[in-house]
Amino acid sequence: MMKQSFEAIVIGAGHAGCEAALALARKGHKTLLLTISLDAVAFLACNPSIGGTAKGQLVSEIDALGGQMGIIADKTAIQMRVLNRGRGPAVQSLRAQADKQQYHTEMKKVVESCPNLFLKQGEAERVLLDGDKKIVKTAVGDEFEADVVVFATGVYLNSRIIIGKYTENVGPNGFKNAKKLSNSLKELGYKLLRFKTGTPARVNARSVNFEILEKQPGEENIQPFSFMTTKKIKNKVECYLTYTNPKTHEIIQNNLDKAPSLSGEITGIGPRYCPSIETKIVRFADKDRHQLFLEPESLSTSEIYIQGFSTSMPTDIQEQMIHSVKGLENAEIMRDSYAIEYDCIDPQQLSLSLESKLHSGLFFAGQINGTSGYEEAAAQGIVAGINAALKLENKTPLIISRGEGYIGVLIDDIVTKGTNEPYRMMTSRAEYRLSLRQDNADLRLTQIGRDVGLVSKARYNRFLKKKENLKKAYEKLSEKLKINEKLIKFFKKYGENPPKNSISVKEAIKRSNLDAKKVNEEFGVFSEFSDEIIAELNLIVKFEGYLKQQNEDIKKAQKTEEVKIPKNFDFSKQKGLKIETIQKLSEVRPENLGQASRISGVSPADIAVLSVLIKKFEGEKHDTKN
Amino acid sequence: MKTIVAISTPLAKSAISIVRMSGKNALTIAQKFFTPLKKQKLQPRKMALGKFDLGSSFEKCLMVFFEAPNSYTGEDMVELHLHGGIVLTQLVQQKLLQAGAQLAEPGEFTKLAFLNGKISLDEAEGIIEEINSESEAELKAALASADGELNQKVKLLQHKLKDILAEIEVSLDYPEEVDFEVLIDNIIKSLKVIKTELSVLISNSEQLKFVKSGINVAIVGRTNVGKSSLLNALIGEEKAIVTEIEGTTRDIVEAKADFKGVRFNFFDTAGIRESDDLVEKIGIEKSKKMLKDADLVLVVLDGSEKLSSDDKKIINSLKQPHLFVVNKSDKKRVLEKMNDEIEVSAKDKKNLQFLKESILQKTIGEDFNFNASVLANERQLEILKEALKQTKQAISEKSESMEILSLIIKNIWQTLGKITGETENEDIIDLIFSRFCVGK
Repeated sequence: MMKQSFEAIVIGAGHAGCEAALALARKGHKTLLLTISLDAVAFLACNPSIGGTAKGQLVSEIDALGGQMGIIADKTAIQMRVLNRGRGPAVQSLRAQADKQQYHTEMKKVVESCPNLFLKQGEAERVLLDGDKKIVKTAVGDEFEADVVVFATGVYLNSRIIIGKYTENVGPNGFKNAKKLSNSLKELGYKLLRFKTGTPARVNARSVNFEILEKQPGEENIQPFSFMTTKKIKNKVECYLTYTNPKTHEIIQNNLDKAPSLSGEITGIGPRYCPSIETKIVRFADKDRHQLFLEPESLSTSEIYIQGFSTSMPTDIQEQMIHSVKGLENAEIMRDSYAIEYDCIDPQQLSLSLESKLHSGLFFAGQINGTSGYEEAAAQGIVAGINAALKLENKTPLIISRGEGYIGVLIDDIVTKGTNEPYRMMTSRAEYRLSLRQDNADLRLTQIGRDVGLVSKARYNRFLKKKENLKKAYEKLSEKLKINEKLIKFFKKYGENPPKNSISVKEAIKRSNLDAKKVNEEFGVFSEFSDEIIAELNLIVKFEGYLKQQNEDIKKAQKTEEVKIPKNFDFSKQKGLKIETIQKLSEVRPENLGQASRISGVSPADIAVLSVLIKKFEGEKHDTKN
Repeated sequence: MKTIVAISTPLAKSAISIVRMSGKNALTIAQKFFTPLKKQKLQPRKMALGKFDLGSSFEKCLMVFFEAPNSYTGEDMVELHLHGGIVLTQLVQQKLLQAGAQLAEPGEFTKLAFLNGKISLDEAEGIIEEINSESEAELKAALASADGELNQKVKLLQHKLKDILAEIEVSLDYPEEVDFEVLIDNIIKSLKVIKTELSVLISNSEQLKFVKSGINVAIVGRTNVGKSSLLNALIGEEKAIVTEIEGTTRDIVEAKADFKGVRFNFFDTAGIRESDDLVEKIGIEKSKKMLKDADLVLVVLDGSEKLSSDDKKIINSLKQPHLFVVNKSDKKRVLEKMNDEIEVSAKDKKNLQFLKESILQKTIGEDFNFNASVLANERQLEILKEALKQTKQAISEKSESMEILSLIIKNIWQTLGKITGETENEDIIDLIFSRFCVGK
């Protein structure tokens, strides 16, 4: 049989795979996107929502780089809310209820119509290395050849779902799983981990008594995920809030022996931040109720997702549990809740570009790297796609630093420290989060996206215009507001002590009860600028001191990131490093001094020694050349 | 970029010791304290003789300045060559830290030198050894103090802060699961407890500071009320020259006396009055400056005379804690009754014990426990004070910016880490998941 030849093959068309394939194809590389089922392309297998704390930031970052997720999320959103409004500029995150059917359909359309991109159904079984070429064999016997391969297999590797005593070797939602690819990865020398996660039941909307439940409406006039979305997003559905109660807890307590996640039937490691309801009740026995959110899955179905109620209990117990909850007394269960176990790789086997350290040309992205979440997957997908393309182009890889974006934090975390549970992005993981806001994702990353060739002209021009406007607006800050009746009245109106003399616009904005919007409303200083610019400016002024400090920290950190550790630098041959340090460094093989400093157990003194050793190593290399 | 400082010679009794700084602000910081003597010019690579202002006194020392890139580290550098002595050397470093320098990490000077290309490859081995031995020494020092009570207490405070941090972080990452009003109340409560504990640590340590370096007692009063006689009586020797002539004491006379295990550092000052005599004038200026640094001021009054306008001037200008010492109880009392007064006779050595007791009470207080092992040295004390300042800032921070609150609390945590050595805060996320039930 003829081997079909591509420049790149992406295995898996979930959130990571789609972004990776789109990045490769948009950069002009002939790319095959293999999926186990065409009906599972960009499938929202768990909750019908995109974004949320830290995840919203990821989506906007993907967007700024020229990715697809933000655009599709905006297009298919049926409700939007901002979490953490007023609790700090950087922790505010957008969360959207996405129409599950539409999301899949819209993303599939984009992928299908993308030049250079070939979407094909097929189960990858084996990946072989043939010199510099990679060969992917599928279950039906097809063979494809490419220079680079991106693994984005999600939770499909050797997966099985568990509902009580019932287990079956399938992927999420009953899709076929990938039975043999795990072995192929082992063959190639990869260390595998086994993780688990779960998804709650779906019930029919007509059977839920919404009238007695607390409404969770969406917000209007929200700044969307994508910097390219100009249309205002309309809220089309409402979510509802309900709670578990002592009766629910009693049912669970009485049936703990039937819970596979507690009885030892499930061996995979689950995420602590997304525990099953039985785990919550055992671990937090003093809590008498837990929140449950009822979220519509799509405008084209009556299925309602019960957020917070994931379980692997047998179906009869599940039914009792659901019926014990207020509003769900008569709920018709359409899909049962299940736990799912799957294989993934230890991400410490990857470099910061998401390329495997073991074999050049193999890239990994998404849940196969031990992460969880659509947004985390897509973020890695776009980076792996870009770097696979840069590899094809013989260019240096793109590495987003921890100071540049959550994407940088995510990749650096998993690659440097590894993970012992499915990794979820959190704002607390970002040391520079004040600088990593959703509103400035474009300012941080559009130039990078443009440089790698993913950002369209239209997007780039929009970015340049925003930057220009911001600069102009910034210049207005030094303008003086003359001391007169009006100014005094304005200050008094907002409970601020009026100034004695004329005051600069900036000083006025800095007052705690005032902001750029109020100053503009009164004096029209920023009348030529958009709300977006005024909000951005306000933030820059209000948090000036903190932002300045953070920028200095970022710059300082950058210095150590710039000290690269040569590829052929042998840690074990270095005199002066402690044995434990050598072991840790050899395991992770950090690419630069900054990354080395984040390996746990490596001290500042170790880093000082290492910096000297690197210089020495490079100097000696230089000497022998001469 | 930061400016770093370190004591570069071993902290032991030696003939000289060197404190050095590296960084953009090295010279600016040094010049806040160092003034070259007349005819001495401060120029790069030339030693200058001068005075280092320690607050209550001046230290004669040598300073040399190296201009970037012509220095060991390649940055601007300053070296201060001091007379040896552990306390003095630490004091100088302390001053520089207060003025904005940061304590250097082990091997940091050398690392800078290396990174700025100032050291050749042949020297690399030696440098590595140096860094390792420095960090080992630091580790040993840290271990030695790790058992200390202060260390334990500060660690406990750090843990409390970490708990608060976890509460904030969990609320920010899982906003839907947290009642913010309750949370903020709890956080403010916890911060107030931390504030109190820090204040106690600081005041205890300040008392202990008295034990270690003594209580600075300034003796002031208009001329000829018997200040010098009182000093002599208090220390039991003829230290100050006593004459009938007004303005005899022109410079500050310093004398030490031990009482109940505490050292008193007495400073007899020039009588404060308007004087035309230049030498005396300088003495008066010094007196005023010294007053500022005193822990307690003894205002000496003549019991046999009425309160004069000079007396009143002195009393009105006093801002620091003070006691009125009514001298000459051997003569007939004419002076009106003063608040907080102690009647003594320097001449007959009457009531001096009671005066000393009063000094102790006024400064250290009654409830002071001499055996407390919560000992903060000057450096630690500064750290505690900084942490207290930050804690107050956190408490006054508006509750709507949880994120900023989190930043400030992280800063407090890191500040205290300079005492305990715990500066890596990696397990906050573990703490979140072990403590809170979050997630869908």
